[in-house]
Amino acid sequence: MTNPITGGCQCGAVRYRITAPFENPHICHCRMCQKAFGNYFAALVGTKKTGIEWTRGQPSIFRSSEIVQRGFCKDCGTPLTFGYDTSERVSISIGSLDHPEQVTPAIQCGIEGRLPSFALLHTLPGTRTEDDIPPEEMKLLQSRQHPDHD
Amino acid sequence: MTETHSGGCQCGAVRYAIEGPLGHSGFCHCRMCQKAFGSLGAPLVSVPHAQFRWTRGEPGVFLSSPIVQRGFCRDCGTPLFMLEDGYGVIEIAIGTLDDPNAAPPHHVVGIESKLTWADSLPSLPAMRTDEDRTPQDLAKFTSLQHPDHDTETWPIK
Repeated sequence: MTNPITGGCQCGAVRYRITAPFENPHICHCRMCQKAFGNYFAALVGTKKTGIEWTRGQPSIFRSSEIVQRGFCKDCGTPLTFGYDTSERVSISIGSLDHPEQVTPAIQCGIEGRLPSFALLHTLPGTRTEDDIPPEEMKLLQSRQHPDHD
Repeated sequence: MTETHSGGCQCGAVRYAIEGPLGHSGFCHCRMCQKAFGSLGAPLVSVPHAQFRWTRGEPGVFLSSPIVQRGFCRDCGTPLFMLEDGYGVIEIAIGTLDDPNAAPPHHVVGIESKLTWADSLPSLPAMRTDEDRTPQDLAKFTSLQHPDHDTETWPIK
């Protein structure tokens, strides 16, 4: 694992550095995580709140329930954090890490909301981006995404 | 009767309606979809522009490349769509549909960035929310999420 661990939103307005150990890497299928992430599930990894340093900008907060805050970038929308008010810990969205391949989920939560599509995903045929998009169009797809490093 | 679908962001500030059948559905693993969605990638369903309209609020937009718009809710962050110039469709984030089961995926794309552990997720141990929380904790989870249907006014309370 790279040290320090860094990450942030797509546009780069919000960046973080994590110095505390990771714990409880998981995916959550609950309907609230689905809608917050616009996805089949949320992929999250926990750490101590005191172990996160916001090195650029700050996440905006939506209170999705009375006791839960969800952090996101107000400039590009990237879902960044999930945390209980009373907990010393907070979860980071794994996809916002600069190196998400370094954190492997170990458990599925909220399976009362699990979608049939989830079980289909790993059975479907897959293609690479350059196989789907002609070279002339690829040239136009210049990334404006923040790079995967500070 | 025309087939209709609805959806929106978590907080309900942005809502949309779709009239007519949904188009092709897929999951994109590319690194840009990973970071935009804070996840393994993006589940997207194509909808012709003529069938789509915003019914409450309007999304914020980030240009993730000169020809690609990504829409999201400025108030809660929910990723809502991807839209590439020159295509006749808007690609809606499937998790934002009020009925995400309406758009089962047909294929996956962007596999050059697929995370190595992506395919092992279905075999992980699994638990329900009520197995993971005490009844006292669950009682505190008063959801402030918009319900999975249209509302006349919002917030309700």
